Formats: sequence, C-alpha cells, structure tokens
Amino acid sequence: MADDQLSVIFGALADPTRRAILARLADGDATVTELAEPFAITMPAISRHLKVLERAGLISRSRSGQWLSSTLEAAPLKEATDWMERYRQFWDASFDRLDAHLRRVSQQHESAERTPQ
Amino acid sequence: MTQELTHEIFISRIFEAPRELVYQAFVDPDQLAQWFGPVGCSVPRDTIDIDARVGGHQRFVMVVEGDQGFENPIDATFTEVVENERLVGEMQAVGVPGVEGVLTVTLRLEFHDEGGGKTRLELRQGPFAREIGDQTKDGWESSFTKLDALLAA
Repeated sequence: MADDQLSVIFGALADPTRRAILARLADGDATVTELAEPFAITMPAISRHLKVLERAGLISRSRSGQWLSSTLEAAPLKEATDWMERYRQFWDASFDRLDAHLRRVSQQHESAERTPQ
Repeated sequence: MTQELTHEIFISRIFEAPRELVYQAFVDPDQLAQWFGPVGCSVPRDTIDIDARVGGHQRFVMVVEGDQGFENPIDATFTEVVENERLVGEMQAVGVPGVEGVLTVTLRLEFHDEGGGKTRLELRQGPFAREIGDQTKDGWESSFTKLDALLAA
C-alpha cells in the first residue's frame, strides 16, 4: 500500500467508527471516557482507532491535568478535500460546457423557428 | 443525540473459589491489579486506591496495554459494604456519549456461597444505553476470564 499522506488520510477516514470519532471531536475536545464507555470491551478497539487517526495527523492527544484528551486536527483534512476539489472543478467545467451547448442549441432552435417568415 | 438509559446489565457467574477469596479479589489492590479490565486493558497497581467502607472510595486508572495515550480514570464511592457478601458502589461519570451532565452508574456485586468451595457472583450495573451496556457486559465477561486464572493460581 502506498505510504503517502493522502493514502493514510483516506485510510483513516475509511471506517465508520473513526468518522464518528472525528465528528464527535468537531464539537470539541474529548477525553477517553467521552469517546469510550469505561470498562466496555471496545476500549482496546477505540485505542486502535485513535492511533490510526493520530498517525494520519487527524487528531492530537494531550494531557490537561488528570485527563488525556483528543483534539481534531483539521489541516490534513484540507489535503483530502483539495484532492476531491479537482473533481468538483471537472464537473463544474463540464456543466459550463453543457450550459454553453444548451444555449447554442436553443438559439439555433429559435432562429430556425424565425426563418420561415 | 440522546440515548435512552434504560438498560441494566446482569451477570450471574460461578467462580471456582470460596466467596472470601472472590470478595478479596475485588477489594485487595494487589489482586485487582492482576485481573481487572477486559483482555487488552489493565489497571496499574500504583493507580489503585480502595477503601472498602461505606463512603469509602475505589479509584484506579484503566489503561490499554501498549497505548500510553489512553487512560480511563474510575472514581467510585461505596454505598453498601458487607464483607464477603455484598459490595455496592456508585460512579459519577461526566461526558458519557449521548448523556447531558453527570451520570450516576451503580454497580452491585453479591457473593453467594454455592457449596463445594464455589461462589456465585451476581453483578448488576446500570443504567446504560443498550449498546453500551452490551459492550460493558462483554468487558466484564472478558475480565472474569482473567479472574478465573488468578483464582486458579
């Protein structure tokens, strides 16, 4: 698998639990207790998900007093949206060409209607 | 997103040891450190502080093995303590997913003599949202496999 940053980011996003964690962190920092119920069997799983997100640079973890909390790091997400943006431009450009085409077609249609007179 | 907190988990389980020993495994910090936490999690001995009296506390930090960035501090207060028979504790949890404000979760442990040197532990804990209750129940079951091993040692 490619090890470039974009692949790591999309890999991190390719999981519903990790996207749910990011959505939660978009509302503000959260501690482990806020992300995983204490004593649930899912604690090791949540830990693994946090590691994947941290490796992708999408979150950072820091200690505030007694609590370790996770913070959303939005900058790498911009790399992902920038990449997808190119495809939006592709569609926008296509739609622009379609607009131009439809304008031409309707003008020809109008002039064709006027011609017989 | 608010979830309905209507679910109480219940576990009834036999341990191959007299109830004095099973009870001690919950209140002796040295023993708790050896079994508490689902497989993959543990409670370091130096984080455990237990005062098994009414009004006393039970504090420890759960960690995930191999992840220094993952800590889950637990702070419970005993509301009923009958040696070798019953332990009831309340835990205040802040920031539980889907819950506004402080949530009080009660854990009730009853130790019954089953004869033949065995103990039946009855555990009740709640309230939980159903899914989280199921995950917590699985957490206890996983943890109890470690307690089996400790009691057999």
